Amino acid sequence: MPELSYREAVRDALATAMRQDDGVFILGEDIAEMGGSMGVTSGMLEEFGSERVRNTPISEMALAGAAIGAAMQGMRPVAEIMYEDFMTLAAEQVVNQAAKLRYMSGGQLTVPVVFRTQGGAGWSPGAQHAQQLEAWFVHIPGLKVVFASTPEDVRGLLWSSIYDDNPVVFFEHRTLYGIKGEVPEKIEPIPIGKARVHREGEDVTVIATGRLVHESLKAAEEAEKQGVSVEVVDPRTLQPLDEETLVASVKKTNRAVVAHEAVTRMGFGAEVASVIQYQAFDWLDAPIERVGAKFAPLPFAPVMEQFIVPHSDDVLAAIMRTVGRNGD
Amino acid sequence: MATEVKLPRLGQGMESGTIVRWLKSEGEAVQKGEPLYELDTDKVTQEVEAEANGVLLKIAVPEGEVEVGRTIAFIGKEGETVAAQAPAAPAPKQEKAVEAAPERAAAPEPEPEPQTTNGRIKASPLARRLARERGIDLAAVRGTGPEGRIVAEDVERSEVTGGPAPAAAPQVRSAEVSSTPLSSVRKTIARRLTQAWTVPAFMLTVSADMSRANELIARRRELEPDVRVTVTDLLTKVCAQALMRHPDMNVQFTEDALLSFPNANVGIAVAAPQGLVVPVVHGAEQLTLAQIAQARGDVVGRARDGKLRSEDVEGGTFTISNLGMFEVDQFVAVLNPPQASILAVGATRDQVVPVDGELLVLPLMTMTLTCDHRAVDGATGAGFLKTVKSFLEDPGLAL
Repeated sequence: MPELSYREAVRDALATAMRQDDGVFILGEDIAEMGGSMGVTSGMLEEFGSERVRNTPISEMALAGAAIGAAMQGMRPVAEIMYEDFMTLAAEQVVNQAAKLRYMSGGQLTVPVVFRTQGGAGWSPGAQHAQQLEAWFVHIPGLKVVFASTPEDVRGLLWSSIYDDNPVVFFEHRTLYGIKGEVPEKIEPIPIGKARVHREGEDVTVIATGRLVHESLKAAEEAEKQGVSVEVVDPRTLQPLDEETLVASVKKTNRAVVAHEAVTRMGFGAEVASVIQYQAFDWLDAPIERVGAKFAPLPFAPVMEQFIVPHSDDVLAAIMRTVGRNGD
Repeated sequence: MATEVKLPRLGQGMESGTIVRWLKSEGEAVQKGEPLYELDTDKVTQEVEAEANGVLLKIAVPEGEVEVGRTIAFIGKEGETVAAQAPAAPAPKQEKAVEAAPERAAAPEPEPEPQTTNGRIKASPLARRLARERGIDLAAVRGTGPEGRIVAEDVERSEVTGGPAPAAAPQVRSAEVSSTPLSSVRKTIARRLTQAWTVPAFMLTVSADMSRANELIARRRELEPDVRVTVTDLLTKVCAQALMRHPDMNVQFTEDALLSFPNANVGIAVAAPQGLVVPVVHGAEQLTLAQIAQARGDVVGRARDGKLRSEDVEGGTFTISNLGMFEVDQFVAVLNPPQASILAVGATRDQVVPVDGELLVLPLMTMTLTCDHRAVDGATGAGFLKTVKSFLEDPGLAL
């Protein structure tokens, strides 16, 4: 099996779709000559030309609107929003237009658009360039929301997102672009709404997204040394949520930790915790633990940034609390 | 204004009781002092009397377990109305529970008791489900989770160690196995005898020639046929006298001090329909054999009828368990905490005994004394048992 970086895997899905399908094109700020601020679309201008790799003005609202319009006309555009912090500027188009049009037109319109965006702390970008805002979008009926954590998943899920007839907000994580992983020879679509069990375990289920999947896998290894067997599950698709897989895992282990980089309060993990407590209430042997960023804007100072966002030792501590005896 | 009927505290340590049934129905007239309802506590089942005259306006708790102090009914004037809902547990209690939390965190770890807050047991949902499915009473399970929460493992452990055993092993589903929820009495028996099992105990066995004792009993019956004196009565008297001669035996061990008692309050183990109960003959050393027989007949009768009062079972300093009527030759009794000793009595049998070079057939009764070794030394127990034997063999010595 070939090995790709997360960045290359995103590019591979985009380029492969564009090669086989004239309806697929990409647009965004600095995606052409510059190859995107994260280098994801590097080299695509040369292969596909400026008609299909379109630089846009610095207006997220305009480029999101253009993508939605193209989608309504039958294209499958993939818009890049440089930082998910800037999704705030595109929100009117994404939330009020893309998410609503199919419903409000009685199904006469479909909006098969993908909004690719990225974020995440760990490289000191400060409070305005590293937020994790997925919770804002899972709250909107009409949107699908994907957050992939491995090269294989990001490629297969981006493919499915491009070919989904509904608008998809597709989150990538800044610090994952460099990670490498094996991918199938040929792109295998990964169904939207299907979680992935990364590691099986008996005592505690950790449900993690994005960077925290990797932190949780590290924590699981450490827990194993301490005699606690941990199952790590990545929902991959936040909306729709694969409740069945999550609940089945917790029913097996009787304990759950939910981990993401976004702030804990009102976060995606709160919804997961609610789903679990309701569907697996009689199987829970400990309160559901949540791991996430402290409730504060991200500081520039690296030490402070590290203090705010969660790491594997935070996940490990949460795991231990769920199996704890007489407190910790 | 209607009078609230509150669950009384009938003895030290009583936290709750189970209302078995009401003897009056709503709307019925009630006289002060009339039996109002039957209450099952961990010691006895008894009738509780009304404390006011009037009409039983409302029964707030028809049956089931209730904490002490909770309003269970209202007595008032005919036609008077009362709040539809009985007031919940008094509010100060809740505040107390909240205040207690930080204190508990700071205090040295106490022996975890079943964790309750206002009767609410802290247990995980999984633990609750397991307990429900296996018929385990969470009140008897020790929680080892954070803040004493009962977790699944605790329920499973309690099942293995046979805490309050489930009526049936869950895997074996047999049509013949029936499940009966534990009564308060059964729970108390289990708890106290498990407690007794942790006490270091020693046992001493002796046989007594019962010839003269039997003569004495026969003579008493002859003189007073109405008062049927039994071996147990004689044993009660004899043990009470022996306890007076051996005050070191009439004691109880506590963590801080050894308690010595001035009176011989002799408990008699009775197999009542609801389970083992031990009514007490108080101050047996001061009673005549006939008085003991009467007192014994009274409490044992009430034990069998499930009508014991708290004071009937409290304050015992020594216990006699007689299984002679069941033809048991001899046995070892488990201590009845907090008492320091118990005498297990077997049947009287004719046996061939060499006496002064001759073989005689004598009626021998074998007794085994179990002692709490923390409170009583071997020689003390042996001395006491020797006195009991001599009193039985020559009852005149007990005078």
